[in-house]
Amino acid sequence: MILDADSFLEKCIYSPEGLRADGRRWNELRQFKCQINTHANSSDGSSYVEQGYSKVVCIVNGPKEPDGRSHTFLDKACISVEVNIASFSTVDRKKVVRNNKRVQELNTTIQRTLEEAVLSHLYPRTQIDISIQVLQQDGGLLPTCVNAATLALIDAGIPMVDYVSACSAGIYDTTPLLDLNTMEENDLAFLTVGVIGKSDSLALLMMETRMSMDNLEPVMAIAIAGSHSIRDIMDREVRRHGKQRLAKKGNM
Amino acid sequence: MSTTVKRSIETKSLSISSKVFVRSSKSGNATKIVREQYLRNDIPCSSKLCLICPLNVQADVNGVVKPFVLSEDPNRTKQLGSHYIVIDANIAIQAIDLLEHKATFYDIIVPQTVLDEVRNRSLPIYARLRSLVKDEDKRYYIFHNEFRRDTFVQRQPKESINDRNDRAIRRVCAWYKSHLEESVSNSDRPNLKILKIVLITNDFDNRTKAKAEGITALSLREYIGSLPDSETLLDMIPTEDQLNNKRKEFSFPEHFPMSRLMGGVKNKTLYQGALNTNQYNFLEATVSTPAYPKPLLILGLENINRAFNGDSVVVELLPQSEWKQPSTQIVDEEELSKNDDATNEISSVITEQERKILGQEALDAQTSSAEFKIQPTAKVVGIIKRSWRYYVGHIVPNSTTSDKTSSTKSVFVQLMDRCLPRIRIRTRQSATLVGKRIVVAIDSWPANSRYPEGHFVRALGEIETKEAETEALLLEHDVEYRPFSKTVLDCLPKEGHDWKVPENLDNGDEQLKKRKDLRDLLVCSIDPVGCQDIDDALHAKMLPNGNHQVGVHIADVGHFVKANTPLDDEGASRGTSVYLVDKRIDMLPMLLGTDLCSLKPYVERFAFSVLWEITPEGEIVKTDFTKSIIRSREAFSYEQAQIRIDDDSQQDELTQGMRVLLKISKKLKQERINAGALNLASPEVKVHMDSETSDPGDVEIKKLLDTNSLVEEFMLLANISVAKKIYESFPQTAMLRRHGSPPATNFEILNDQLRVRKNMTVSLESSRALADSLDRCVDVKEPFFNTLVRIMATRCMLAAEYFSSGSYAYPEFRHYGLASEIYTHFTSPIRRYADIVAHRQLAAAIGYETLAQSHREKDKMERICGNINKRHRNAQFAGRASIEYYVGQVLKASESEQEGFVIKVFSNGIVILVPKFGVEGLIHIEDLCGDPTSSEFDESTYCLNFTEKSGTKRQIAIFDKVKVFVKSEKDESTGRRKVRMSLLS
Repeated sequence: MILDADSFLEKCIYSPEGLRADGRRWNELRQFKCQINTHANSSDGSSYVEQGYSKVVCIVNGPKEPDGRSHTFLDKACISVEVNIASFSTVDRKKVVRNNKRVQELNTTIQRTLEEAVLSHLYPRTQIDISIQVLQQDGGLLPTCVNAATLALIDAGIPMVDYVSACSAGIYDTTPLLDLNTMEENDLAFLTVGVIGKSDSLALLMMETRMSMDNLEPVMAIAIAGSHSIRDIMDREVRRHGKQRLAKKGNM
Repeated sequence: MSTTVKRSIETKSLSISSKVFVRSSKSGNATKIVREQYLRNDIPCSSKLCLICPLNVQADVNGVVKPFVLSEDPNRTKQLGSHYIVIDANIAIQAIDLLEHKATFYDIIVPQTVLDEVRNRSLPIYARLRSLVKDEDKRYYIFHNEFRRDTFVQRQPKESINDRNDRAIRRVCAWYKSHLEESVSNSDRPNLKILKIVLITNDFDNRTKAKAEGITALSLREYIGSLPDSETLLDMIPTEDQLNNKRKEFSFPEHFPMSRLMGGVKNKTLYQGALNTNQYNFLEATVSTPAYPKPLLILGLENINRAFNGDSVVVELLPQSEWKQPSTQIVDEEELSKNDDATNEISSVITEQERKILGQEALDAQTSSAEFKIQPTAKVVGIIKRSWRYYVGHIVPNSTTSDKTSSTKSVFVQLMDRCLPRIRIRTRQSATLVGKRIVVAIDSWPANSRYPEGHFVRALGEIETKEAETEALLLEHDVEYRPFSKTVLDCLPKEGHDWKVPENLDNGDEQLKKRKDLRDLLVCSIDPVGCQDIDDALHAKMLPNGNHQVGVHIADVGHFVKANTPLDDEGASRGTSVYLVDKRIDMLPMLLGTDLCSLKPYVERFAFSVLWEITPEGEIVKTDFTKSIIRSREAFSYEQAQIRIDDDSQQDELTQGMRVLLKISKKLKQERINAGALNLASPEVKVHMDSETSDPGDVEIKKLLDTNSLVEEFMLLANISVAKKIYESFPQTAMLRRHGSPPATNFEILNDQLRVRKNMTVSLESSRALADSLDRCVDVKEPFFNTLVRIMATRCMLAAEYFSSGSYAYPEFRHYGLASEIYTHFTSPIRRYADIVAHRQLAAAIGYETLAQSHREKDKMERICGNINKRHRNAQFAGRASIEYYVGQVLKASESEQEGFVIKVFSNGIVILVPKFGVEGLIHIEDLCGDPTSSEFDESTYCLNFTEKSGTKRQIAIFDKVKVFVKSEKDESTGRRKVRMSLLS
């Protein structure tokens, strides 16, 4: 008896043995690497974040004199985000127009997310510039950018309520999968959350695909849990860097 | 969010490697792709002997840990002791039949490397390998060696990918060996014997390397040879390539390389389509391509170039000078190749006889007056996808010598499917297999062989025994008939036959509360005699405002078959129940089909109800859908219901209700006919079985009563109502059914025949016009003529198909035959999977429950539709084949003189339909007259003039009524029982 071959055509995103195409289990993050204060001379705050093969550099300048009237708020600082996607960042090299809709939306999303955490009312009539350079993309572009921006803001010494850590999660049949790469993002319904600190409050919830209501809760639960462990890793890096700084100061 | 369950996050460190490969894109550029690969230590060996791995396994999302697969006491042979087997990709691809064999191959380790390679090379085999893994008895385990740190192998510089994969497989063997040794030495059961790991590969090089590394490696033949019952199994080893190399005298044209095919199809110099062999002439095939309205013709074995009926092929047009017209001859392969010897090849691909036939056709093409009949002719230059599966056939008796030695011999297998060539297999058991139905698989068709090479899979039994023939026809139509597996049966309610509708409807079950209690309604069911799986029941009730409430109640299969359970998967893969003359192959287990779901009388059952308010004039005021509980008052047969309705002394409410239903149904029918619904006849025959011996007794054409159409009308109405509702709720993924309007070209020949012979036409402007014009095709002298035209018209129609609403635009949803804008199948969920999907979508549409993801995604729905369409077609063919077989059996006992009608005329024969039995038969020109050369075929008038054996001249034309003598005859060379007709004057 020959089974219908077509039903197996789907790529093996999640094998019956419980492993994803890259060898992770459903609840595992990709390798998360981060570094802060990478561009100490050219910026007020900087960071470099890798989530698997998604790699971004983030630079923060400010609070500083606003660029113009449109960037001036009387009661709070203006956070302006600019994401720059390198044309070599994807498998097929393609030029990304600086102000295409997709990038603009990404800018606004990151800006709104950070506004939830940054205590911007402390710096009225100033501007905080966040510039993100995407070096390589392999899924989870938005969360990687958010994580990098958080670290750079901390490096710049801008007061925040807590870390904003972001992570994506998707659903395969009934199994939620954490931290998707490009291949998985192309095939699955997924969402991205940005969590403030270790709480359950969300600064960001983004979903561009359709997901059934029954699946939403487990997917969000795992995405939040994933964000929490990313926060821990970022926290470790900030503390490591802080200790290093202190040690230097002590030496002086 | 505070109530959400926190999921633990894996923090154990993993090592990382990357997978680098080069992919060529559509435009021909090569792209280097780098993917992450996480290596881990928690991939278990899955041996029940192991004491280390169980401490280290990870649970899945639901906290379930997969049980270990490989047994403590695996297969054992004299030479090897007890052992686990590791296979390589070639073994899986070439010998999947052996791997599936019940007699051998237990405790198999399939490395991930092998699985991936199999998937890249053959999806069907991948699917079969996967289902083997699911089968608990076979104990197959997929070992993800690529993800385990100890077994991951990095490709060396200058190492070919095949060498790397072979090395990875050897590493798996070595790892298993040392791992099991270690784990057993740690155990407190030191007397445990150490298992051997046996690598099976046909690659000599790999075996040598393995032996050098201390791994036991055997070829498939060596391994099978070491088993006790190797005789039968050895036959199943696929033919190895070396055998064919000696024969080089002739060859088919080589197929083009894949890149050239793809390029050609893209820039429209080559065309792709499915090959369709003419059933009357295996030398002729057609390929339908989107580029041309008419199919392209392919003539001759050399041009068909090894393609099978149903293969997806790429063709190249021949120069216009070589274009031909479709042949008017009947050519049977068995007649032509009767004398071929399986061991010696004939020197040219095209035999002399075949040349003669081709020559005749070329002549026809030149002389034919009818220019329009010349069709573009093409040749096959490549095969994209083979449609190969298991085939059933029998050994051609004269292709084997009669000596009883058990040496390996080449023999021919004649397949049951007439459109396919015979297959050469090598077997040691030819002497015992002659006269049996056997299953064979095809391995390859090399360019230098006239016949495809295959191997023996198993024997079904003696030819013409009921069991063997039934199984053969199920296999031949790809019908899954094995009993349901344990995992499937586990999904059934635990109460079994004692399951009951809960007495207390307010037991806190939210779902139950949403059900309407309709037990007080006078519901009854009307079905054929002896029907056990009662899908539907009806009721009618007078409302205070003078309108009628009419309800159709359908078995609530969705309550028992939840989405994404093994039971659901099984149903989806079977797609439909298959009805044979003496047997029913269920889509769902018996417990559901004939008991828990079946709307049996006098018991309470869950149902899905469609309730209408209908005015006495037949106008629908309101439609409601609800899940319900009903109690059927009576299960009628069509005859009983008819008698009860006609009997005026019956004045009870139930009968009154049925009369109302009948009255309304007649109005509905009239409306439908006015809208242009077609009444297409096809001779449906019923075989009466002797109740004691279950031997077929008599054949009868099914009668239609008013009550048949009563039930039919309301089912149609329910289906249409449901279709509208689910389309409204799920515009992209609703499960619907459409029937395309037939293209005019399909009717060209029939119209021409009607015009020439009877001066009639059928109109194709609309279904209404077609229905009317069919009504006009009446021959006063011949009452059957109208039915005959309808039968022939049906054959020109397209088949109705299931689709998901996102695949077509709304105007294309139309059901041509029923003249309905939108249609679905809702009323038979016990025997059709499409109905189950419609049930779930309707349940979601009325807010009863949420819809499973798989019925909400367009591509998943398309996949479901594709499969059930195929299953549905196969089921129909299997049913017809079963009737045909039994009609043959009936005729064996009684030979008789019958009336028949000529439905096809060829230059060397005629095809006759005998309505009494619903069978068709072919009469060759040789049997019509003494001297075939004296016959004359007039193509323009579809006449055949010939001189009968008695010397009188006779003319036979299409549509003629003739007297034939019908008997059934077993063809000794093919083993097939055929209806043999001979013309009487």
